[in-house]
Amino acid sequence: MEQLLSNKIFYHIIVIILAAIAAFIPRYLPVLFFSTRKIPEWFNEWMKYVPVSLFATLVVKGIFVDSSYNFIAFGHVEQIIAALIVIVIAYFTRSMSISVIAGLVAVWLLSLAL
Amino acid sequence: MAKAQINPEKARWLEVLGVSMPLCLSYIPIGLACGILLHAAGFNFIMILLVSVLVFSGGAQFILASLLTVNSPLSTIFLSLFFLELRYALLGSSLSKYIKQESARFILVFSASMNDENYAINYMKFATDKKWTPDDALLVERYSLAAWSISNMVGGLIGGAISIDLEVVDFALTALFLYMIVMQVQNHLSFVICILASILGVYFLVLTKNTLGLIIATLLASFVGFAVENTVRHHSKDPSNNWFLTKMFRPQITKTTLEDKQAQEKKEIKEAEKLENKIENVVERHDEPKDDTQHHDEG
Repeated sequence: MEQLLSNKIFYHIIVIILAAIAAFIPRYLPVLFFSTRKIPEWFNEWMKYVPVSLFATLVVKGIFVDSSYNFIAFGHVEQIIAALIVIVIAYFTRSMSISVIAGLVAVWLLSLAL
Repeated sequence: MAKAQINPEKARWLEVLGVSMPLCLSYIPIGLACGILLHAAGFNFIMILLVSVLVFSGGAQFILASLLTVNSPLSTIFLSLFFLELRYALLGSSLSKYIKQESARFILVFSASMNDENYAINYMKFATDKKWTPDDALLVERYSLAAWSISNMVGGLIGGAISIDLEVVDFALTALFLYMIVMQVQNHLSFVICILASILGVYFLVLTKNTLGLIIATLLASFVGFAVENTVRHHSKDPSNNWFLTKMFRPQITKTTLEDKQAQEKKEIKEAEKLENKIENVVERHDEPKDDTQHHDEG
């Protein structure tokens, strides 16, 4: 049991180190690269659309794709409804915390009801 | 730098704290949710603190938690996080023009604790506030990192004490991304791209059975956005009134919290951004040593 525990902590430390490297490289290298060179205009124009595209794909991954990467149209009905609620609330309040909390409350209530 | 100011150093950290406060507050619920999920994935609170300081990314930490619960191999964990964090490459390269003149050590520290939200604040401040210095920007990152890692750790601690439906907490991530989409969809084209990215996202995720599908879909959808905007700008007679580039309808806000004001400001900046980028390019070409030491104060 002791052995297992220390292995688990060791494993978590490895995971954290890998995660830190995965988080650090994409943040640091481009800044380093572009702090000595000029960023091409077309690159900036292209990158402008990256965040919105990435967030959209992450949302559909959460709602419409299951853990073994199969498409599920109505597997998470409560999440679909809660997502619509979040969109409306974000649109009107523009507050990150209100949107997230409302989404959590909505999905919680709906998962009790459905 | 701040000789013209009456009480320069003391006022500055408070002023920056005021700028970062809405962000820090909004990190609390998301950080708590993230801490709870990481706790459920088997991390103790010291590990949670460590990972939230080193990774400092809501999305990545949520995905890390879900990968750990399904016992994914280390290579999958690394690659998924790496591809998810690739977006920082884009954020970083767009901020780099403001921190060019700083030391190598500053650039290292600054880029290590950059993320979506403090990037948004810093980009907005750099674009509008002439007095905004790289040091202020770093201070915003420090405040947001403190708020984030503390709420993560607290989440990890209460996660053990109370039982919570994890599927519900997991939705915090989706809600966070939905919020960011709503904030970023400004014109019809970005809305179209959002829909396109969703369809491509499902298609490539099912096709590749891997988070690599996310990256393919993102790069394709954003490239289509770029190509359409470019085509419209070059071939339309009146690009700013073209359907693709006209603004989406937005409601008048009756509430004005700090966050609202900030978002409002951010929206205005976005509108001015394109223009400013063009002006800046022209200016940079004409008078090269633009004030490269510090922004001076007008008093």
